[in-house]
Amino acid sequence: MPIITIDQREVQVEPGSTVMQAAEELGVHIPRYCYHPGLSTAGSCRMCLVEIEKMPKLAISCHTQVQEGMQVHTLSEQVARARRTMLEFLLIDHPLDCPVCDQAGECDLQNYYMEIGQHESRFLEDKPKSKKASVIGPHVILDQERCILCTRCTRFCKEISKTDELGVFNRGNQSVIDLFPGRLLDNPYSGNVIDICPVGALTEREFRFQCRVWYLRQQNSICTGCSRGCNISLHHNASRPHKAGGKRVQRLKPRFNPEVNQWWICDEGRFGYEFIDQNRIEHPHRRVNGELETAGWDPVLEEITTSLETALKTFGSQSIGVITSPQLSNETLHLIRKLFGELMGIEQIGHHNPWEREGFHDDFLIRADKNPNRRGAQAMGFDYDSQSLLEKAASGEIKVLYIFQHDFKEDEAAALLEQADYVIFQGSNWTRTADFSNVVLPSATHSEEEGTFTNFEGRIQHFEQAFLPLSDSKSGVEIMALLAERLHHEWPYTDPEKAFMDWLGKPYNELNDFGELIEIAPDNIE
Amino acid sequence: MPTEKLLSEHFSNPEARKVAWYRSHGGYEGALKALGEMQPQEVVDEVINSNLRGLGGAGFPTGRKWSFVPHDTGKPIYLAVNADESEPGTFKDRYLLEWDPHRLLEGIIICAYAVGIHTAYIYIRGEYVRPAEILQKAIEEAYQEGILGKSVLGKDFSLDVHLHRGAGAYICGEETGLLESLEGKKGWPRLKPPFPAIVGLFGSPTVINNVETLSHLPKIMVNGSQWFSRIGCERNGGTRLFALSGSVKKPGVYELPLGTSLHTLIYQHGGGILNDKALKAVIPGGASAAVLTQEESDIQLDFDSCIKAKSMLGSGAVIVMDEDICMVKAAHNIMRFFAHESCGQCTPCRKGTAWVYRILDRIVEGEGTLDDIGYLLEISDSMSGTSICALCDGAAMSFRSYVQKFTAEFEYHIRHGKCDIN
Amino acid sequence: MSAKFEFDPENLERFQEILGRYPKKRAAMLPTLHLAHHQLGLISPEVEQYVAQLLEVPLVDVHEVLTFYTLFFRRPMGRHHIRLCMSISCWIRGAGQIKDSLARTMGVPSGEITPDGNFSWEAVPDCLGACEMAPMMQLDKDYHGNLTPNELEHILTDVSGNDSSPDPETLRNAQPQRDTSTTDQPNE
Repeated sequence: MPIITIDQREVQVEPGSTVMQAAEELGVHIPRYCYHPGLSTAGSCRMCLVEIEKMPKLAISCHTQVQEGMQVHTLSEQVARARRTMLEFLLIDHPLDCPVCDQAGECDLQNYYMEIGQHESRFLEDKPKSKKASVIGPHVILDQERCILCTRCTRFCKEISKTDELGVFNRGNQSVIDLFPGRLLDNPYSGNVIDICPVGALTEREFRFQCRVWYLRQQNSICTGCSRGCNISLHHNASRPHKAGGKRVQRLKPRFNPEVNQWWICDEGRFGYEFIDQNRIEHPHRRVNGELETAGWDPVLEEITTSLETALKTFGSQSIGVITSPQLSNETLHLIRKLFGELMGIEQIGHHNPWEREGFHDDFLIRADKNPNRRGAQAMGFDYDSQSLLEKAASGEIKVLYIFQHDFKEDEAAALLEQADYVIFQGSNWTRTADFSNVVLPSATHSEEEGTFTNFEGRIQHFEQAFLPLSDSKSGVEIMALLAERLHHEWPYTDPEKAFMDWLGKPYNELNDFGELIEIAPDNIE
Repeated sequence: MPTEKLLSEHFSNPEARKVAWYRSHGGYEGALKALGEMQPQEVVDEVINSNLRGLGGAGFPTGRKWSFVPHDTGKPIYLAVNADESEPGTFKDRYLLEWDPHRLLEGIIICAYAVGIHTAYIYIRGEYVRPAEILQKAIEEAYQEGILGKSVLGKDFSLDVHLHRGAGAYICGEETGLLESLEGKKGWPRLKPPFPAIVGLFGSPTVINNVETLSHLPKIMVNGSQWFSRIGCERNGGTRLFALSGSVKKPGVYELPLGTSLHTLIYQHGGGILNDKALKAVIPGGASAAVLTQEESDIQLDFDSCIKAKSMLGSGAVIVMDEDICMVKAAHNIMRFFAHESCGQCTPCRKGTAWVYRILDRIVEGEGTLDDIGYLLEISDSMSGTSICALCDGAAMSFRSYVQKFTAEFEYHIRHGKCDIN
Repeated sequence: MSAKFEFDPENLERFQEILGRYPKKRAAMLPTLHLAHHQLGLISPEVEQYVAQLLEVPLVDVHEVLTFYTLFFRRPMGRHHIRLCMSISCWIRGAGQIKDSLARTMGVPSGEITPDGNFSWEAVPDCLGACEMAPMMQLDKDYHGNLTPNELEHILTDVSGNDSSPDPETLRNAQPQRDTSTTDQPNE
């Protein structure tokens, strides 16, 4: 493996690595616009020029391969000058409309300019006008004046989404990024071009003027849109709750995971976060004179434990059925198994929705199974047939049916539920199932609790809590603890990590950064 | 001064376009000799020894260029003939294409045989409609006569030659811009390495040679490398076609040995300066080359001498400017060209050419500031050695030379808002 | 814009022949566009779609190519099109004056069509490669050089007066190959 020297520091890298990659090994960030590790090399922005001894001129570090003994300088005056002038070139026609640009605060023109820019403008000419704020698809807005023609977006459409919507038209300084006239940027992955655009040329319609990015906090999370388990950052607005009508989640961004989603996520996942702040069950409810009414946690928990204990005592464990959900975290699922399975001896625990059909899927990221933790639920052994649980509840064989999170929308399901003696629903959002229940417990969404999901291939991935559960809702782990306490069981699982430890025998920080594949489930999945 | 005509002997003779006439006047003898009597490597060596250099502009030794081509890739090797003559001031290849198409085809055969090529594409600029028609006709004739095709000149060697028309883009004269264009894309030059000799057309090893370069091969084969190298000067073998234009009495194509004096070309062959004005400046190698002042202009026309004069011989396009030509406007004209022809791919070229053009435009319009002169020189520095291809370097070298060598004219223009020339 | 485009039988045959020259279909892009341009006189979005289909390339790639090169018209042009060279050598030899008189004669701005539909013109910054006859222009396929305002007037009158048999006098500065018979399209 070749050893090269960068700014007087030696580094050994794989043969065929680029100088930029070698620099990254040393933690040296070389400015770049066109380079993106997930795309082919364009080498066109010329921002990453470095000085390499014995080479007649500066070389682009994104394309120059290391050679044994290479002496690279990224901090020389010549390099600094080249960066400064490239930045100056890129800014001559730039509208400098940062005050009204959503990219402000996460813009690489701004960032590098603050770092290395030439701060006195020498540009006396008029700036050309071109297409601004043009809606080019369901999610993306194009501003050609801000574009620096790095071509990341066109390469994305060619190489990753393979949909070829965007191109570079015309020539020279007239060159623009655009769509074929009359077409739209409307592919299942279109939002990624917003992320990879280093400037404010491609911005998000949904996020437009919603929040300045410096107000956003980020938490590492996992997309719940399907069983792929794409790694995401959840951007939420903690300090400006009055903005956006109290909506906490402002946007989702993909988070790099080479094993799962690389740098990308699909639009369905990216924009599928409304459930976190909309149509939430905010308080416990119980049925009074046939109507669901808001109630405190104590009376509702009291009612639930009484019903469970009565059923157990009177009719035995066969009189209780549980339908867990492939949307719950492993931690909650594990505690359900613990409490209902082990401690209460209930055998009739299922997890699936018999009416659920395969969703849209492709051969890239999007999976047909729209649940983030099917594999986890299966691994817990929750394989009792849900349909027969509902039927038993309707026939009276099951006296208490505890349903987590599911939305049994179908009339057939409603008819069964209507006949059931007693239904407990625990979930985050109002559903038709909740409407038919006797009591309703508000649970947190995954963004409001910590936990893990097991994706379709058996990869256990950790997600962080972004903010507190909405209103009166509580995390699954907490609700299980409250129930266990009222049912008089010894219960040390007071937080998700304790549940996780009990399940896998190690703490979260021993999970690999990119998740951990483990043999936990049979292969009869999907 | 009698000069041997290696390339231009048939200019003005329409008969020479016909294969029969060409053959009856020694045509295809060079190819026959190569294919019949020589091993491919012998042909390569002969060309190396001839000191033939690439006459498209870069002046790279032709035989050495061929020797870079790997033969063990399992892929076909291609020849791309650069007939995208577009450097301002250059029109010599048009003469070769129009008057002597078979000489080019013969050169193509020799090169193909030497390198092991069975498919050649001639990339001709889109504006050259009539030359393309002539060349197409010559190709068809050559196929009919068994000169091209399955058995070239009756030998056990096959070669297909296809004409491919460009569509209006200077950058397609750049080797890799040409390859991109030939592959059906916009002509954005490629990052190098890999070089076309290794990864070129359709991912295969590719030789790219200029029309004039290839047209020299037949006579080199017939007369030998020593004969050829003796015609030129040191490391610059043979003659080349100089395209003389601008303020001269007799503009045109002149074939002269490399190393001929620039003044000989202008005053002897070109008949001197138009209207007997004084020589003010001359560009020795197309618009990309630095302009030479009258004082600097007494140089030899060969690649090395021009580099010594801090300019370049380039495509051999000699553009003469008399005392009445405004150098600010000349630079403005040239930068309009470069801004128009920059492909737009990389930052320094896309933005640099456009910015410089706008500054010059402002100066020409009488809106210049004295700071502009310093800016222009700095922008030239910023554009030098930072781009993907040589267009940007050429543009930078070009406008810098006007600003530096004719600073007083720029200052006058800025102060007075007009030329100091009537 | 216009109706669906496809090659006429003769051009379809030419297209098939063109395809045979290249190991990859896409390489036939420029020849195919030239051929379509020759048939229709311009490249419309419908032509782009047709070419994309024929060559099995994304539509956006065809559009990139179309807009990169300068010789393809994207809207109708005059029966005759003039490109006046404004590059350095022609400029030195007075292309500026020729441009003024061409603009006067045409009576329409660069890039526009004369009201009778006979002409469109443009002053091009790129060198047309005929500096020995500067100032010069390209009228359709042919080069006309050593232009003077008078000369220009003659050429235009002659070409619009009789398309089929150009006056040899007006062509005296034109290219040397004029005496050979030429096919309509060399390479498409």
